[in-house]
Amino acid sequence: MTSQIEAQAALNVSDAEGDEHAIALAARERRRRRKYLVLFTQVVVLVIILATWEFGTRFGLIDPFFFGSPTGIVLRLADWFANGTAYGPFWEQVWITLEEALLGFVFGVGSGVVLGVLLGEVPFLADVFGPYIKIVNALPRIVLGSIFVIWLGLGLPSKVLLAAVLVFFVVFFNAFQGVRTVDRNLVANARILGASRLQVVQHVVIPSAMTWIIASLHVALGFSIIGAIVGEFLGAQGGLGLVIATAQNTFDASGVFGAMLVIGILALAAEGLMSQIERRLLAWRPKSTSENNIAGI
Amino acid sequence: MDDAEGMGGVEMTNVTKRFVTPSGEAMTAIRDVNLVVKPGQFCAIVGPTGCGKSTTLTLAAGLERPSAGIVKVSGRPVGGITKGASFVFQTDALLPWKPVEANVALGPIFRGTSKKAALSQAREWLRIVGLSGFEHHYPHQLSGGMRKRVSLAAALINEPTMLLMDEPFSALDVQTRAIMSNELLTLWEKSRPSVMFVTHDLEEAIALADRVVVMTAGPGTVKATFDVDLPRPRGAVQEIRFQQRFLELYRQIWESLREEVTRAYSRQADPNAAKRGAA
Repeated sequence: MTSQIEAQAALNVSDAEGDEHAIALAARERRRRRKYLVLFTQVVVLVIILATWEFGTRFGLIDPFFFGSPTGIVLRLADWFANGTAYGPFWEQVWITLEEALLGFVFGVGSGVVLGVLLGEVPFLADVFGPYIKIVNALPRIVLGSIFVIWLGLGLPSKVLLAAVLVFFVVFFNAFQGVRTVDRNLVANARILGASRLQVVQHVVIPSAMTWIIASLHVALGFSIIGAIVGEFLGAQGGLGLVIATAQNTFDASGVFGAMLVIGILALAAEGLMSQIERRLLAWRPKSTSENNIAGI
Repeated sequence: MDDAEGMGGVEMTNVTKRFVTPSGEAMTAIRDVNLVVKPGQFCAIVGPTGCGKSTTLTLAAGLERPSAGIVKVSGRPVGGITKGASFVFQTDALLPWKPVEANVALGPIFRGTSKKAALSQAREWLRIVGLSGFEHHYPHQLSGGMRKRVSLAAALINEPTMLLMDEPFSALDVQTRAIMSNELLTLWEKSRPSVMFVTHDLEEAIALADRVVVMTAGPGTVKATFDVDLPRPRGAVQEIRFQQRFLELYRQIWESLREEVTRAYSRQADPNAAKRGAA
């Protein structure tokens, strides 16, 4: 009798486990199906936009002189890749812009973090330099590019400097804010445990500000590319900005769109890389659903 | 008085601490505090909310300087962070981006121990507080009680002669708090640092401490000191509460504390009185 009851109980347990397993499977299946549905709809939307554009230009609804056309853009890009631009191979132009943006990003982030942490840690410096930094920040920084071209000429340094300046302010303010919002208890505890001021900065302040700094890097990356391209607009001997400026001067709409497409792909790739780095650096954080949603957008 | 000169002994003489609020007003947190904690003594500080209990701890830790009076730890006046002190905060002061073992290893690392040695020391302490197997977890992956154990390990790894605890268990649920109290006593018996334990829970204070200091409503000063003569080791704090002697002490100390709690409470309800009290 007892063994029968036990057997029954065991059966019930395995039943319950089976139910849970089935529910989990079904949920996973639903999620998978939804993912494919979203992907499929995205492709459909893209095809509709491209088709409307293409056929609009074919049937004279959209003027290809102003708006280009998808095939025109593809042909223009193919031409660039095959025969190069007026300033040399197309790859070279891409690389020039990329190099400027990357160097600007590195210098901007470096100086932004160093100065942000320094001013965040030393209130006296923050009080003295705070107003000046705000004044410079209030300037439309793009026009600084003109000065940089005058100072540094048409080559790489003037673009790197412009990109770095754009990046600097974004990162600086985030690093500063991050340092200012460090949990005072954590600092007090580290000091009691025997940390020197430098150790407090190294073990508590900078990692704590890292969340803020990393959040700024996405925006900073975009700014570094903007800085490089605007710099090239203002005066350059190569780069995608110059390619766009030339296309603009010859009313080559397909050329402008083509270069835009390349820049977009570069920016997306860099963004993806940045997300990877972010995930690595912030692995310690608890996963929250709201964050995933934002990342999805 | 002389025995407060030993390692970990605390002696506060006529200590006053004033703060300047961000709006520029001066606020007296504690006034003329006289307090002695002998080496190896477990001293609990109780008092109504806002009576400067925590301020007393920050002064002993050397995080703040007294506005008047002298704070001595181990016979030396405090200037800078007090040597041999460890602090356990109400909210666990664990670095959320470091795994548990790295958090515990911070103390030795700050004091110049090599990282490898510090980590093996940390693992040993995690074993002592019953957290073997959780070395690589991040603090947010642990329960409140487990995080408290990590905090204790991180505080004790430096082998403090003075342990300062600011309402360490108040964020825990009742059962976990009882378990942690027992554990604290067991750990404390092993190395016997002097302890200043701030709490608003009188039962907890009597169950744990050798001496209970009652502070007045803010600006706080020492109102009365009670020696708790319950034998050690105390055993389970859940059960000691039913002892006759415990109840007597509780009644006695509560009598003293009640007035202050009532006063602090009525002051809270009347903002003008609070202003007068602060001035």
